[in-house]
Amino acid sequence: MNSERILNKMMESDILIKLASVFGKKLSDLKMNQQPEKGLKSKSDFEHLKKVLLRETTDGPVPIVEMMSDPELMAKAMGWEDFPIDMAKAIMWSVAPLDNLKTLWAGFQFLELIITFSKTMGYDYATTWPYVPIPRTYHEADIAEKHGGKWRIWQDESKGIISDRAAFEAFPWPEPDDIGLFPVKYMANRLPEGMKVMVFQWGIFEDLKLLMGLENLAIKSIEEPQLVIDIAEKLTVLAEEALSRSCSLKRVGGVFMAEDMGFKQGTMLNPRFMREHIIPRQKRIVDVVKKSNLPFVLHSCGNIEAIMEDLINTVGIDAKHSFEDNICPVEKMFEKYHSKLAILGGLDMDLLTRGKEDDVRKRTRQILETCAPHGGYAMGSGNTLASYVPLNNYYAMIDETKKFNLNRSME
Amino acid sequence: MKKLAEYIKYGKGVETANRVKQLINEGANPETLLNDAMIPVMDEVGALFQSGEFFMPEMLIAARAMQQGMDIIKPILVAKGIKPMGTVVIGTVEGDLHDLGKNLVIIALEGAGFKVVDLGVDVPAAKFINAIKDHNPLAVGLSALLSSTMLVMKDTVAKIQKAHAEKKVKIMIGGAPLNNEFAQEINADFFGVDPASAKDFVRSLL
Repeated sequence: MNSERILNKMMESDILIKLASVFGKKLSDLKMNQQPEKGLKSKSDFEHLKKVLLRETTDGPVPIVEMMSDPELMAKAMGWEDFPIDMAKAIMWSVAPLDNLKTLWAGFQFLELIITFSKTMGYDYATTWPYVPIPRTYHEADIAEKHGGKWRIWQDESKGIISDRAAFEAFPWPEPDDIGLFPVKYMANRLPEGMKVMVFQWGIFEDLKLLMGLENLAIKSIEEPQLVIDIAEKLTVLAEEALSRSCSLKRVGGVFMAEDMGFKQGTMLNPRFMREHIIPRQKRIVDVVKKSNLPFVLHSCGNIEAIMEDLINTVGIDAKHSFEDNICPVEKMFEKYHSKLAILGGLDMDLLTRGKEDDVRKRTRQILETCAPHGGYAMGSGNTLASYVPLNNYYAMIDETKKFNLNRSME
Repeated sequence: MKKLAEYIKYGKGVETANRVKQLINEGANPETLLNDAMIPVMDEVGALFQSGEFFMPEMLIAARAMQQGMDIIKPILVAKGIKPMGTVVIGTVEGDLHDLGKNLVIIALEGAGFKVVDLGVDVPAAKFINAIKDHNPLAVGLSALLSSTMLVMKDTVAKIQKAHAEKKVKIMIGGAPLNNEFAQEINADFFGVDPASAKDFVRSLL
């Protein structure tokens, strides 16, 4: 057994997790300045969120749902001044191997940040992911100073690590035993009553782009489709394994899969290819989740109208996240799909980022008034809480949702 | 020439290059090949993309085939002193590394016979300004894919317009978070909803 596997196994032991939790709580209390009054509510209720995701209720408060938040925004909100943002970003994009103390320590702090931020802001869940050591390609841009000292990690759009069959054969594919569950187990143990873990999973199409580069993937989907299929199959098997193990843990409440498949005009690849080779594999992944009777949320940016019915009827997603006003405002998507899907978020990123607080408040109310009465809706951003979203706008969205819920409970 | 167009349309690069060589050897005028077969088929590819029958992969392989044909034709045209229809400078604004959308616009513009100066990604305003001075383009294209870099785009447009107040260079913008309203807000001349519309806009400037 290699050293990383040994480390994984050690870290997953109940004793170590309990000890780490005690330490983690102390760390959280020391480093973070929580402001619970900014949050949606003081008491989380994952069972209610589950009913919203499965469209089993039209009553009760509208929850907040975000797929993830940039570490800078969370650290700023929690007042954690020396939070290791660089390492957290690398971990978030799964480009930092968790095989050294520096990364492990940063990862542990990141878990604590996510837990405390989620609890403070009144979410019913916190998000983390099992460790699956797939090497991924990325660019990093040092745009510090010019843009507020922040840098981002970007997908390589032109080429990736796997450019051809030879590279596929030589790729260091992880084995199921390389999967580490510490983040999920730790979070499940640390979360307070009422909260559960939403397991984040990179989608297979997302990983195809990361491993091959989108342009290379696009060309190969026509000229060498079997290569793409073989990579997708490897990724599917790993996802099935990671989720099968994660979903069997107590206090895991659901799965959030990130799977951007669309541009503004339509799907990135031909819908025929998606239907034949990607959709059936996504279905296998969802089936694993459904075996544990957990809800499955799909995050997908862009216009994926061409495959929405496939995602609903074949793949079996319960909820969809990520909406852009430039493509279709969330209310219109809600109108079209709310009888089949829960619709999550949709407060447009441009408004959240560049808009005035009053406009954010107005739009939040507008969406809530349209969608909330029907059930199967949760408020949130149209994509993620990116580092460049002003905190006051984010708080405004939360505050308006809080007011809406209060008024609703008094009716 | 019908065969040539078909090879390009379906991304057959080697066949495209061979067919171009064959037709030229048989006496075909390279300019005629370009204007009557190659450019029109790239227009067709753009229209098929707009209508949702072709997708990004089909555009990429068609562009690659077109490029392989152009590799044969370009030196002949240059030797004859035939210039491109015009020049366009294009880049992704500072702070943004997305380039796929920009590259699709380049494909559409080069396919239509324009010379494109690609400044790449993370391009500061000064680089756009210098490129406009050096290449005297018909238009300059700015791409951004994040709400944060939209702000950079606004600033870049303002700087370009200030630096080249006397020039008639048109500014077109594109990217997922953008729209016509934003184009108006920042005084850009055009918002391209897709690569074909950007190409049509530049053509209209001739």
